[in-house]
Amino acid sequence: MTEVSPDRTASRQAGGIPPPGEDWIADLTSSGPVREDALRRLHALLVRGARFQVSRMSAMRAVVGAAQVEDVITLAADEAMVAVLSKLPTFEGRSRFTTWAFKFAVLQAAVELRRQAWSRREVPLDAAPPLIEPRPSPDLYAEGAEFAAAVRDAIDRVLTPHQRRIALALIVDEVPIDVLAERLGTNRNALYKTLHDARSRLRTHLAGQGYDVAPPTRSREETR
Amino acid sequence: MTADPRLPTDAIRRLTIDPGPWLSCDDCFRLVDRYVEGLLVRGAEPVPAELAAMPAHLAGCSACAEEAATLLLLAATEAGIDPAPALERLPAP
Repeated sequence: MTEVSPDRTASRQAGGIPPPGEDWIADLTSSGPVREDALRRLHALLVRGARFQVSRMSAMRAVVGAAQVEDVITLAADEAMVAVLSKLPTFEGRSRFTTWAFKFAVLQAAVELRRQAWSRREVPLDAAPPLIEPRPSPDLYAEGAEFAAAVRDAIDRVLTPHQRRIALALIVDEVPIDVLAERLGTNRNALYKTLHDARSRLRTHLAGQGYDVAPPTRSREETR
Repeated sequence: MTADPRLPTDAIRRLTIDPGPWLSCDDCFRLVDRYVEGLLVRGAEPVPAELAAMPAHLAGCSACAEEAATLLLLAATEAGIDPAPALERLPAP
């Protein structure tokens, strides 16, 4: 059923967390009771991963409700199971198998819970009104207010209508990217590319106006 | 910074962060297991070149960052590693 990457053993030895003694690939690609047991353990692992992801999304969990949350977990684990088994030939052993498998359950659970939580919410997709203030407000005299005004102006003047709509929906209205993708009939990659390009365009414009735009990457400790 | 409810201060920051080199959400997903394990075992060492675009992507994509944080916690539990130091280094939107 499954071809395993020939460099898997070498990759495992190259770094990363030492793999556990059990060999998931061998068990999942065997037959009979060994495979059945491996499939059972894999499904339990994926349920655990999906449940943990859902447990960390308290706001959306509250919207969806307890009974439906259980359905989300089950559905996510089942879909992750199919994904893991179909992707098994691509597993290179460059991480623990459990970490590799968990990510499918985490993704499926997060996407499904976001979708369920937003299923009855309207997504603002019409062109938002201009952000430019008609006249200077007292805020402009506060520290940083000039930069805020410059960003507002740049959003209205520099971004394309599509970039503006996507950037405001994702960042200001905080529509989950999967939900927005579904409503627009596109995908996560395409929306993130639009946001990526919009950020580049805003920064280029703001830098041209002499603003010291934000540093590249903030870690969690920096945001505290 | 601004009292404009349509553009809160945090939104301004998130709109203008450096997007870094392009990395799709699909490629982030492909690499995220290696990335979080690297944070757990390599500590503050620089990330390998293949993973170099991950920090900017995670700082810019809240969905991928949320999922990466969960994966880091799960991987730490499996490996019996304290996740706190790695979680501190995981980029946040």
